[in-house]
Amino acid sequence: MSTLTAVRLPSARLALSVLAVVTFLAVAGGTVAPHDPLLQDPDLALRGPSLIHPFGTDYLGRDVFSRLLAGTGTTVVAALESVGVGLALGVLPGLASLWLGRTVEWVLLRAVDAVMTLPFIVFAIAVTGILGNGLSQAMVAIGVLFAPLFFRVTRAAGLSLTRAHYVEAAELFGASRWRILRTHVWGKVVPTVAVTAAQATGGALLAVSSLTFLGIGVQPPAPTWGGVLASELGFLSQQPWAPVIPAALIMVAVAALNALADAIRPGGAA
Amino acid sequence: MSTLLAVDGLDVTFDRHRVLADLSLHVQAGEILGIIGETGSGKTTLARAVVGLSPVRAGRITFEGTDLTALRGKARRAWRRAGQVQYVFQDPLRALDPQHTVARIVAEGLVVAGTLDRAAIDARVRAALAQVGLDQSLAARLPGQISGGQRQRVLLARAVALQPRLLLCDEPVSALDASNRNHVLRLLADLRDRSGVTVVVISHDLSSLAGIADRVAVLYGGRLVEQGPIGRVLSEPRHPYTALLTASAPSVRREHPIPARALRPAPDHRPVAAFGPDACSYASRCPFATQACVTAPSTAGSEWSVACHHADAWRSRLAVGAMSTRRTA
Repeated sequence: MSTLTAVRLPSARLALSVLAVVTFLAVAGGTVAPHDPLLQDPDLALRGPSLIHPFGTDYLGRDVFSRLLAGTGTTVVAALESVGVGLALGVLPGLASLWLGRTVEWVLLRAVDAVMTLPFIVFAIAVTGILGNGLSQAMVAIGVLFAPLFFRVTRAAGLSLTRAHYVEAAELFGASRWRILRTHVWGKVVPTVAVTAAQATGGALLAVSSLTFLGIGVQPPAPTWGGVLASELGFLSQQPWAPVIPAALIMVAVAALNALADAIRPGGAA
Repeated sequence: MSTLLAVDGLDVTFDRHRVLADLSLHVQAGEILGIIGETGSGKTTLARAVVGLSPVRAGRITFEGTDLTALRGKARRAWRRAGQVQYVFQDPLRALDPQHTVARIVAEGLVVAGTLDRAAIDARVRAALAQVGLDQSLAARLPGQISGGQRQRVLLARAVALQPRLLLCDEPVSALDASNRNHVLRLLADLRDRSGVTVVVISHDLSSLAGIADRVAVLYGGRLVEQGPIGRVLSEPRHPYTALLTASAPSVRREHPIPARALRPAPDHRPVAAFGPDACSYASRCPFATQACVTAPSTAGSEWSVACHHADAWRSRLAVGAMSTRRTA
């Protein structure tokens, strides 16, 4: 099934609709927010949902709905940043391991094995501890840890192509490795990498939310999805329903990315 | 005729397994040479070694004086871009990029060579498609959208678009029906007659070579066992294995037919010696093998050569009973 055909599936359409809303909010979330996401009003602290505050208020009286809208951009950009780093560090070395000889292959495989032993969150905490507590640093750390995933997937997709007869035919025409990669390999590797990137973006959304939940990356009072979740969890006894809203938002966005990835997966959409 | 391609003392080894052993073969300019042998005899490896796809352990492959085995890096790429030798793969479905159109596939070698502009490449592609008898309307199709016979001709068109001087065709008709098979074989003969292209056709089917080849080279176990003018080799084979091949091909007419049964070892046949890696490659299966066959025979003769210690004697040892049983049957 082609990617275009897959997009006609109901699940893919629903996923794309959700992602379109998330993208809109990432771009314009701050401007469409009904209230200032940073405006504190102690008199309105920990209020339940109302017409003025649809998702209620947090412990400082800030509008949760506005904070979630305004935090979308930071959260999504951070997730995409880590996936971008993972793609850059994973895809090209994955292809290089197939085409640049046994020495390069051996070195890259051992490097990837080493990186794969590192735990996500602990590594991110260590990196921000060394490089400073910023969201970019944390996301680069997460991206580094995503790299083995993209490396393995790219390598697996390209492995069968190295000895494909049409690749050998191109070699016999005197085509350069770069041309062979561009014309015969890239188009066959991209769908698999795209599926992995969609799934990884879901994972990155969770990771950035987890990190901001731990106070790593984004500093208060800047809003993020994970930050809102963290603040709501602190008042679980007063408002047990409150963490459900940011958690559901994260879950819906991750589910949409996974559904889209599943729909465009080569030969596996159903 | 002058020698276009010379293979001398070629050894190819995969993981310590010797696939080709001390193989020497010359291809004359303008001829159609058939290479025949059973599966695993080294036919494809020989062709792939010529174009640089199989690792050569020893020996030389020269094309009009250019040592192809010595080419590396940029020099090899430049040689390949000149397109003088083209290899036509055995399996058209695997040799054609499923995401590229027929026109793009046929144009690839010309685009890589970079010597022609777009219009000239398009003209060459149209001419190549016409040359192999493919309709121009197929140019926009993908390999999965055309038939097996058409795919085989696309492979040929991709090769002839570069106007090569030597065409190596690996089992070009093995997957085709009789009609398409004859068409492709006629195409190869036409190419030689009209364009003067030297053609090497690899096949496991003697009958498909009988109509078009000028000469035939017979491989067995990675060694050349016999080569010569196809008419003479088929009618009076000098190697027992060639004789078995011709006897096993019902469509090949022979003047003095020997039944295949007479050329196979009897069920209770015991080899006269333990034949090691340096023995005649056919010795363990040969009913005429003797102690002399523990060493590989040298290839004797130039126009028609045979590698057998008993090339002149094995016919006299044919089992009379086996001959008569078949004739009366």
